[in-house]
Amino acid sequence: MAEDGWTECVRSLKGVILDMCGVLYDSGAGGGAPIEGSVEAVKRLKASDLQLRFCTNETQATREKFVAKLRRMGFEIDVSEVFSPAPAVVSILKQRGLRPHLLVHDDVLPEFDGVEKSDPSCVVIGDAADNFSYQNMNSAFHVLIGQEKPTLFSMGRGRYYKETDGLKLDVGAYMKALEYACDIEAEVVGKPAPMFFQSVLNDMGVQPQEVLMIGDDLVNDVGGAQQCGMKGLQVRTGKYRPSDERHPTVTADGYVDNLAAAVETILKHRG
Amino acid sequence: MAMASRRALKAVLIDLSGTLHIEDAAVPGAQEALARLRRAPVALKFVTNTTKECKRTLHERLRRLKFDIEEQEIFTSLTAARNLLEQKVVRPLLLVEDSALEDFAGIETSDPNAVVIGLAPDHFNYQMLNKAFRLILDGAPLIAIHKARYYKKKDGLALGPGPFVTGLEYATDTQATVVGKPVKTFFLEALRDLNCSPEEAVMIGDDARDDVGGAQNAGMLGILVKTGKYRAGDEGKINPPPHLTCESFPEAVDHILTHLLDTK
Repeated sequence: MAEDGWTECVRSLKGVILDMCGVLYDSGAGGGAPIEGSVEAVKRLKASDLQLRFCTNETQATREKFVAKLRRMGFEIDVSEVFSPAPAVVSILKQRGLRPHLLVHDDVLPEFDGVEKSDPSCVVIGDAADNFSYQNMNSAFHVLIGQEKPTLFSMGRGRYYKETDGLKLDVGAYMKALEYACDIEAEVVGKPAPMFFQSVLNDMGVQPQEVLMIGDDLVNDVGGAQQCGMKGLQVRTGKYRPSDERHPTVTADGYVDNLAAAVETILKHRG
Repeated sequence: MAMASRRALKAVLIDLSGTLHIEDAAVPGAQEALARLRRAPVALKFVTNTTKECKRTLHERLRRLKFDIEEQEIFTSLTAARNLLEQKVVRPLLLVEDSALEDFAGIETSDPNAVVIGLAPDHFNYQMLNKAFRLILDGAPLIAIHKARYYKKKDGLALGPGPFVTGLEYATDTQATVVGKPVKTFFLEALRDLNCSPEEAVMIGDDARDDVGGAQNAGMLGILVKTGKYRAGDEGKINPPPHLTCESFPEAVDHILTHLLDTK
């Protein structure tokens, strides 16, 4: 395996951030299946002296449900180690005293239980799947167009993702629709927003150059992490496509076949 | 008095809603003005952006309001979409309201390899948009009747087709082909069977950007009428400004008859 420049940073690493879907597991029927070697790789990282966090744009479930699913697959993961957009949005809403109108998946609603939602002053959208009906888009639009300065939070900005029964539009398409309708720009919460990565770094108490991000999404995982000063590694699993290695604007610090290979190399170079 | 550059006028394009009528009422004097224009040696065409009304429905309303208009003189954004489908020889997934389907009669729609988006609240749902998305990702052209952000309903504003078109453009990293006003090809298509160039035609409408700006961008003259959706100052919103801004359709006809036609 070609080991390029990224291995040079391994000795000074203090932490690793892992993307989840496409790195740990592939989504699909019955919740999906672990990617070969990933359960063991997480175990090995946890046994090392490196700090480990997980960073996902998953907004179709609460963190608790999501982590429970991964634990059933065999992953040793704790809810407190997982960063996802919904809790991040909730803390922004509280900081700024905003009351959201929610256009999200039913299964993520409990994340917003403690948030005042009457007389909404902003809109929060996530990957709402079947809830992306014309009526619901129109309701979100009405809240926005009724504000003097419309505020739209989007949990991620992905274009699409793959499920066992085919490709599905992601939240980004619906975010763009509302942006166009109201002539505004959404505030993205989640990858690749720098604030989102920064909150993970703050939790670890480390500097960005001491952290390696590993993901299957070149732009949102790798590019987003690099923008924050971290190193970014792309795995050739999940939504990876060979053309990613010739991307016009984002070049990963390294490409590895899967998480197991990445962890093997990291631990070897730390000696 | 000699005019700077008089063109030989051969055709007049006329917008419908807001120009000839406002909902179910004719603009005062419009029927009589149209009759006067008919007696002049110019071809006429009635052009409109519609996503849900077929030509027959539009025509029936105009007849009820006593306008002397034939159905085949009407050219709409739906017709423009149909023409494009025929040119490209593709089979569309039609995201338009049922009331518009009549204008696509005879077009093969099985096993679609193109996507046409009009205003179709009943079709703008997750399943259908995913279906459209996959077709476009597989190379199907995306054709938008128009890209309006929203429109006004009796009970308030409602999303137009534009947001959904934009979302699909983003997800697939492609650009839709828009067929309605103010796109240049719309006006050229409307003139196609009239045997005249844009320089020999004038457009009358109440929408500064879509009617007048679009027509002038295509090389025609544009006359803005202060009826329908016109708001004070609209004429200043386009560059170059309208050839003429006048009170209403009858005044526009008077201008054409006295200043734009060679009455020797």
